[in-house]
Amino acid sequence: MIDVKRALSRFRRSPAFAGFTLFVFVLILNVVVQGPGQFFSSRSLNTLFSKNMPLILTTLALSPLLIAGTLDISIGIQLALVNVVSIMVAQEWGVSLYIGFLMGLLASLTVSAVCWYLVSILRLPSILASYALIYVVRGVNVLIMDKPQGQVPAVFYKTYDSLIGGFLPFSALMLVLVFAIWAYLMRTKFGRNIYAVGGNPRNAFAAGINPAWVQFQAFMVKGFIAALAGIALTLMTASGNPLQAEAYGLRALSACIIGGLGFGGWGSMSSAFFGAGFLVLIQNTVYYFFNFLYRIIPGFTVTSYWQNLVSDVIIFLGLLMTIVTAKEQREALKQGFVEQFKGGERDDK
Amino acid sequence: MTSELEGRMTWSQRVQVFIQSSPARMAVIISILLFAITVAINPRSLNLSALGSIILLTLLLSFASAGQTMVLIGAGLDFTVGAVMSSAAILTTYLMNGQNGTFLMVFALAMAMGAAIGFLNGVCCVKIDLPPMIVTMAISNVVTRMQYVLTQGYPSGYASPNFINSVISRIGGFLPSLSLYAVVLFPLVFFLLNRSRYGKQLYLTGNNPTAAQLTGIKTNRVRILMYVFSAMLSAFAGMLGAAYMSTARCQIFDEYAFNSLVAVIVGGTAFEGGIGSYTGSIAGALLMTVLSNGLTVLALSQPLRNIVQGVVMVLLLIMYNRARAVRQ
Repeated sequence: MIDVKRALSRFRRSPAFAGFTLFVFVLILNVVVQGPGQFFSSRSLNTLFSKNMPLILTTLALSPLLIAGTLDISIGIQLALVNVVSIMVAQEWGVSLYIGFLMGLLASLTVSAVCWYLVSILRLPSILASYALIYVVRGVNVLIMDKPQGQVPAVFYKTYDSLIGGFLPFSALMLVLVFAIWAYLMRTKFGRNIYAVGGNPRNAFAAGINPAWVQFQAFMVKGFIAALAGIALTLMTASGNPLQAEAYGLRALSACIIGGLGFGGWGSMSSAFFGAGFLVLIQNTVYYFFNFLYRIIPGFTVTSYWQNLVSDVIIFLGLLMTIVTAKEQREALKQGFVEQFKGGERDDK
Repeated sequence: MTSELEGRMTWSQRVQVFIQSSPARMAVIISILLFAITVAINPRSLNLSALGSIILLTLLLSFASAGQTMVLIGAGLDFTVGAVMSSAAILTTYLMNGQNGTFLMVFALAMAMGAAIGFLNGVCCVKIDLPPMIVTMAISNVVTRMQYVLTQGYPSGYASPNFINSVISRIGGFLPSLSLYAVVLFPLVFFLLNRSRYGKQLYLTGNNPTAAQLTGIKTNRVRILMYVFSAMLSAFAGMLGAAYMSTARCQIFDEYAFNSLVAVIVGGTAFEGGIGSYTGSIAGALLMTVLSNGLTVLALSQPLRNIVQGVVMVLLLIMYNRARAVRQ
C-alpha cells in the first residue's frame, strides 16, 4: 500500500503529470460523448490511431528538441519532404517504396542537420531560423514534385490500416518503436546530458558536456521520428503532395506545451504523447458532440467552421489549465528534493 | 568606441562593429544594394510606379511592425498581429460596404476589437504567465476561426471609395497617399517609445523586470498595455490593408505575423527585450519589401523564389542576430 502511495506521489511529481491530467479528462469526455461501446470498438480505435499518427509522431519528434532547449517549427513541412522524396524516388527510379522511405529518412536527417547548424553552430534564434527553413523546404518540395501526384501500392496502405491480431492498430507499432528507442536513449549518457544542456547550456559546458554535440544528437533523433511521421503521412494519404502538413509544426508545438514540456530541461516524451493525445481527442470529441447535437435538435445545422472554433477554444483553455497544473508541479518538484513526508498526501486537483 | 580602439581592430571586426552599431543604417544599406541589383538585372523595374508600390508596402509593413516592436522591447512576443490585421480588414469591408462617411465608426470598432484581443493577450502572457509565443499563437488561431464562423468563410463588402483613395492615390504621380497616415502615426509611435514616460518604463521593464519593479514601475500594467497597443496598431494596419486590397478574405494578412517579426528583428530589436527602436523596424520593413519586390522582378519560379527568400532571411539573421557563444 505504501509502495503504491509512493509510486503515485512520484508520478504526481513527474513532468508528464500535467499532460496526463488533461489527457485523462478529455479521454473521459470523449468516451462519454461517443459512447463507451463505440469508442472502444477496435475499428474506431484503429481510425483514431491511423488518422492521427502523423501529428502524434510529429509531437514526439519535437520533444527531444524542447528538452534540449531548442526548436524547429519547420518540422511540419519536413513531413511533406519525406512524403515527396519517398513517392518520387519510388516512381522515378522504379524501385521499391522501401528504398523511397530510406531516402525520405535521409532527407529528413539532412534537413535536421541543416537546422542544427543554424541553431546550434551559428546560434540564430531557433524560431526565426526554422521559420526561414520553412520557405527553403517548401521550395525544395515543389522542385522535387511540382504538383500532387503519385500513389502507394495497395499492400502498403492496407497494412497501415490493418489490425494486428484483430485488436492492435498497425500504426500504433510506430509509437511503440519510438518509445522503445527513447527508453533506451534515456539510459545512455545522452539521456542525462540532454536535460543538463536544456536546463542551462553554460553550466553544462562548464561540467564538460558539449552542448552543440548533444543538440546534434537531439536533432538526429528528431529527424528519425519526423521521418517516421512522414512515412505515416504517406501511408495515410497514399499519395504525394508537396505542400501539405505545414500546420503540423505549430500544432505539435502547442501539443508539447499542453503536455507539460517546458523550454529546456523539463518534460519527457510521455508529456508530448499526452499533449498530442489531448489535441486528437478534443477534435474527436467535438466532432461527435456536434453529431450528437444534429441528432437531438432537429433542423440544427452549422458549418464545420464551428467545430474548428470550438476545438481551438478548448485547446486555448487547455493551455491555460497547464499553467495551473504546472505551477503545482514546480512546487512538487521542489518538495521532491526535501523529501517531505507528507508529499504523498497532497490534495489532488 | 574610441578611434584608438578602432585602429587596433581587424578588418572583419570593424565590419561587425559597423553592422551592429546601427542595424537600421545597415538595413537601409542592404536595401539599397538589393534594389540596385534588381535594377541592374532588370532596368525596366526602375520606374516611379514601382517605387511608389515599394513605399506603400513598406509603410503597411512598418505600421504592422509598430506593435511588434513595442512588444519585443518589453520582452514579449505577439503572433496575433496577422490574425488581428485580417479580422480588422474583414470588419472594415463588411461595415463600410462601399459607403462613404463610415470611417470613424469602423475605426472605433476596430480599435475596440484590437484592444480586447490585446488585453486578452496581455492578461494571458503577463498575469497568467504563459509563454507569449505559445499563447499568442493559440489566441491567433481562435481569432482566425472566428473569422470563418462569423463570415461563413466568405467575407462580404468592400472598403469605401474615399477610404481607398486616401490610401492608394498617388501624390505627384508616385508617392502613395498612405504616407499621410505615416505622418501622423510615425511621430505618435516615436513619442510613445522615446519621449513618453510609458516608453521609458517599457524599455526598463524589458531590460530588467525585477529592477523595474523595484524602482516602483507597475511592470504588469506596462506589459499588458504593450499588448493592447500592439493589437490596436495591428487593427489599424489591417484597416489600411483593407483599403489597399479593397476587399478582404479570411486570413488575408496572416503572413504579416512573421513578416513583421522578421522586419523588427532585422531592424535590430533584440528578443531579450529592452533593446530596439522603431526606426530600425521601419528600415527592416523596407528591407523585407525590397527583397520581395526583387524576387518578383526577377520572375523566378515559385519554388526558387521560396528558396531564395529563405536563404536571404537566414543570411540576414546571421549578419546581426547571433547569440553569445556558450564559452563566452
